[in-house]
Amino acid sequence: MREVTETLSDSQLVQRCRAGDPEAWNELVERFSRYVYAICVQGFRLREQDAEDVFQEVFTRVYSRLDTLRDDSAVRPWIAQLTRRLCLDTLASSARVQPAEEVLAPSTEQTLDEIDEAFAVREAVTTLSESCQEVLDRFFARDESYRTISAELDLPAGTIASRISRCLVQLRERLEGRNEGSTPSSE
Amino acid sequence: MVARSSGDSWRDAAGVGAQATALLERITPLVRADAEAWEDALAELHATTGGDLEKRNDALERKLDDAAAVPILIADTGADAASLAELAADRGEGAYRADAAVAAVLAAAGARAASHLVRVNLGVREGDARLARARRSADAAADAAARALDAAG
Repeated sequence: MREVTETLSDSQLVQRCRAGDPEAWNELVERFSRYVYAICVQGFRLREQDAEDVFQEVFTRVYSRLDTLRDDSAVRPWIAQLTRRLCLDTLASSARVQPAEEVLAPSTEQTLDEIDEAFAVREAVTTLSESCQEVLDRFFARDESYRTISAELDLPAGTIASRISRCLVQLRERLEGRNEGSTPSSE
Repeated sequence: MVARSSGDSWRDAAGVGAQATALLERITPLVRADAEAWEDALAELHATTGGDLEKRNDALERKLDDAAAVPILIADTGADAASLAELAADRGEGAYRADAAVAAVLAAAGARAASHLVRVNLGVREGDARLARARRSADAAADAAARALDAAG
């Protein structure tokens, strides 16, 4: 069942969640859990316990307020906004910083932008062909050499760098295609 | 640099640039790790002569194994850098192809030097798989550099 839900777009997934599909809810949490956690820990540097509390609260609110989301395709920025607010609330309540409304330090903003970008790239990679996903993962994530990739995938060694470049061109096109819109549309 | 300067005429240029950046990020910590591993091995070699000789020899052998593991990866990365530079020398903007060929030659030199370090650190016999791997990388890098020079004219 997971195989079906994990191929859904964000928008389709939200629709399935609204329809009460428990598998869709599982997939939604699975899809965005690392993103939420990254915002808490890398963006706001919350302690582990605080991050877990925010994590729980974010998904509780997503569950109870999903009907208020006006644009289903904007679920990711909506979750990001919920997470940021809850992180700020947590920091304020623990008196580690004064309440700062929505004004973040430039370094935090930059980290949040980098997290957003990393997750956007990760999402875009999943839309590429299996062979592109494989070759990009092996080179950029697993640090494999061209020779290892060539041997593992049974491809001519001299073609690996070109293949990676072509896949990166496709990846850029996907990213440019998705960078239109996508702003939170609720609350 | 070659990839950055070839964006208008070569569709894959940005992808080649991204791979060059990834290889640079891969090699930089390896160079530091290589120096540290070798210093550790030297310290073990010069350690006081007391204690169990067999244990000391085992410890030294482990340190030398560690010291050899890093240059194997450096040789592999040098081969990749030479291969990527060959591609840039063949397809990049004409005015910059010579720079790409020089990059390939330098990468091949690095791979050869790393392969030499593997042999020295391990003191191994000719059939050792680790030394064979490092030499394959050095040879592949040298071949790529030769092709890059040809391509650049």
